[in-house]
Amino acid sequence: MSDELHSAAIPSSGGVARWLPWALLVALALLPVVGAQLGLDYYVGFVRRMLIVMIAATSLNFILGYGGMAALGHAGFIGVGAYTVVALVDAGVSSAWTAWGAAVLVSGAFAALIGAVSLRTRGVYFLMITLAFAQMLYYLAVSLSAYGGDDGYGLYSPLELGAGRTTGDAALFFWVVLAIAALVFSFASRAAVSRFGHALTGIRDNETRMEALGYPVYRLKLAAFTGAGALAGLAGALLASHNNFVSPSTMHWTESATLLVMVVLGGLGRRWGAVLGVAVWLVLSEVLKLYTEYWHWPLGLMLIAVVFAAPRGLAGLFDDRSSA
Amino acid sequence: MSLFVAQDLVKRFGGLVATDRVSLSVEPGEVHALIGPNGAGKSTLVNLISGLLPADGGSIVLDGVELTAMSAHDRVRHGLSRCFQITSVFRGDSVRDNLLLAVQAHSGSSFRCFRRRSTEAGLRERALELAHKVGLEDMLDRVAGTLPHGVQRKLDVALALAARPKLLLLDEPMAGMGPEDSQQMVELIARLRAEAAILLIEHDMDAVFQLADRISVLDYGKVLASGDTAYIREHPEVQAVYLGTEELR
Repeated sequence: MSDELHSAAIPSSGGVARWLPWALLVALALLPVVGAQLGLDYYVGFVRRMLIVMIAATSLNFILGYGGMAALGHAGFIGVGAYTVVALVDAGVSSAWTAWGAAVLVSGAFAALIGAVSLRTRGVYFLMITLAFAQMLYYLAVSLSAYGGDDGYGLYSPLELGAGRTTGDAALFFWVVLAIAALVFSFASRAAVSRFGHALTGIRDNETRMEALGYPVYRLKLAAFTGAGALAGLAGALLASHNNFVSPSTMHWTESATLLVMVVLGGLGRRWGAVLGVAVWLVLSEVLKLYTEYWHWPLGLMLIAVVFAAPRGLAGLFDDRSSA
Repeated sequence: MSLFVAQDLVKRFGGLVATDRVSLSVEPGEVHALIGPNGAGKSTLVNLISGLLPADGGSIVLDGVELTAMSAHDRVRHGLSRCFQITSVFRGDSVRDNLLLAVQAHSGSSFRCFRRRSTEAGLRERALELAHKVGLEDMLDRVAGTLPHGVQRKLDVALALAARPKLLLLDEPMAGMGPEDSQQMVELIARLRAEAAILLIEHDMDAVFQLADRISVLDYGKVLASGDTAYIREHPEVQAVYLGTEELR
C-alpha cells in the first residue's frame, strides 16, 4: 500500500489542482447568501455540520493515514471538546472563543495522556486501547448528572462571537466554521509535506529503521496524536454550538468507527481523503434518507463496492486520472 | 583509549543465554570483525549494542559517553549508527527521499510542521553528498524497492552514514550478494573506515580477512577468541568451530 501512496504523493502539476481549492472556498463562502435567497437554510446548516465533521476527519487522517496509528477512539476527543463547552457554559462563560479555545486545550491534554499510554502498543492492541479509553470517556459522560447524564445537555443561549454577534447568526457562524475548517485543512496539508509529516510517514512505513536513524519515534507519534486529539476537540466544540446540544452519544464508539470509515472511503493518507470521504458519506446518507428508512443498506453496499473498486479511497481515483 | 567498549553484555531469552558476558572494544579507525556460526548470537549482540534490545547486564561506552541506559535513537545521536542484515530502507520512496529522511534526523528538529521540507536546500545538498559517498548519485529518482539487492544494500549503508557516526555497525552487509556486489561492498567499507571505526558482522570470510584489523569469534553467545587475522586463522578452537562449515584459508 505504501508504494502506491508515495508515487501518488508526487504533486500533480495540473492547474486544476491549484485553483480548485480556492473556487471551492469561494463557492462555500457564497452558500449562506445564496441559500437564504432560495430558502435553503436547512442545507446551509447541513454543510456547516459537514465542515465540522471534516475537521475531525482531517485530524484522524493525519494520525491514521500519515502516521499509521489505527485509533478507534477519536470520537472520545470530539466528546471531550463538546463537554468542555458544556462545562464552561454551565459555569457562566459566554464567549465562543474562550469556550472553543478551552476545548482545544482540554482535549489536547486528554489526548496527550491517553496517547502516552496507548502509544506504548501497536496495531490491534493500539486500536483496542484507544477504543477502551474512548468508552471510558463515554461512560464518564453518561454518569455526569450535572450535565444531564444520558439525556444530554441543552445549550439554550448561543455563544458570543464578539461585536454583539453570536453563533445564533446562522450565516456568520457558517463563515466562522468555514474559516476554521479551511485553516485546519491548510495546516494539515502543509504539515504532511513538512519535516514532521515526512518523519511520520517514515514511522508508518518502517518504525524500527526510523528509530535506528535517530528519530525519537515515540515522541513524534505522541505529538501527532496530541495535535489530532486537540483538533478533534475543536470539532466537538463547534458541533456543540452547531447542535446547541451535547449528549454522550457524540462519543459512542460507533461514532469513532463511522469517522474511520469516512476517512478510509475518501483515501487514507491523502490530502483530500478526509474531506472527500466526509462529503460523500454525509451527502449519500442524506439523499438515501429521503427514499428509504433503511438507508444503511445501500450505503453499506456502496461502501463494499468502493473498497473493491477503489481500495486506495476515492481520492486515489483522482490521482490515477491526473497521472494517466 | 578505545573508542568503543562493550563490557560483560548479557542477554537472556527465558532460559537461553543468547549473549553471555561478551566484552568487545573497537579502536579509532579500526575495522573489528565479529564472526561466528549461525545461532552464535551475532544479531542479538548487534541489537544490544544499537539499543533495539534492552540488555540484562553489562555496559556500553562510546567515546567516553555511557550509552547503556540510552534509547536506540539517542545512541545514534551520540555517534553509534547501524545497518540491517535484512535490508531496511523505505521501499516505496525514491532514493532521494530515503536519503533526505536520514539527513533530516541529524540536522535540526523533526517537529517542525509549517515549512515544506522540499524548500530546505541544506538537506538536499547533504543527501546528494551521501549519494556520492556510496555511488548512488545516478539513481536518486529511482524507487528504492525496485532497485537490485546490491544497490539497496548501499542505500542502507548510506542511511546509516547520515548520522556521521563515530562507530558504524554493519550487520552482514554482504548477505545475499553475488561475488561482484560483494567486492564492491568490500571497496566501499574500505573507504568508509576513513570516516568511522567499524564493527563488522559478516559471514563472508574472504571479505572479513580483507577488511578486518582484528577479529572476534562468537560461539554460543560467548567470545571464543579475539585477535588479529593471523592469530584467528591459526586458532585451534576457531578452526574446530568452523570445521566443515567454513574454510579458513
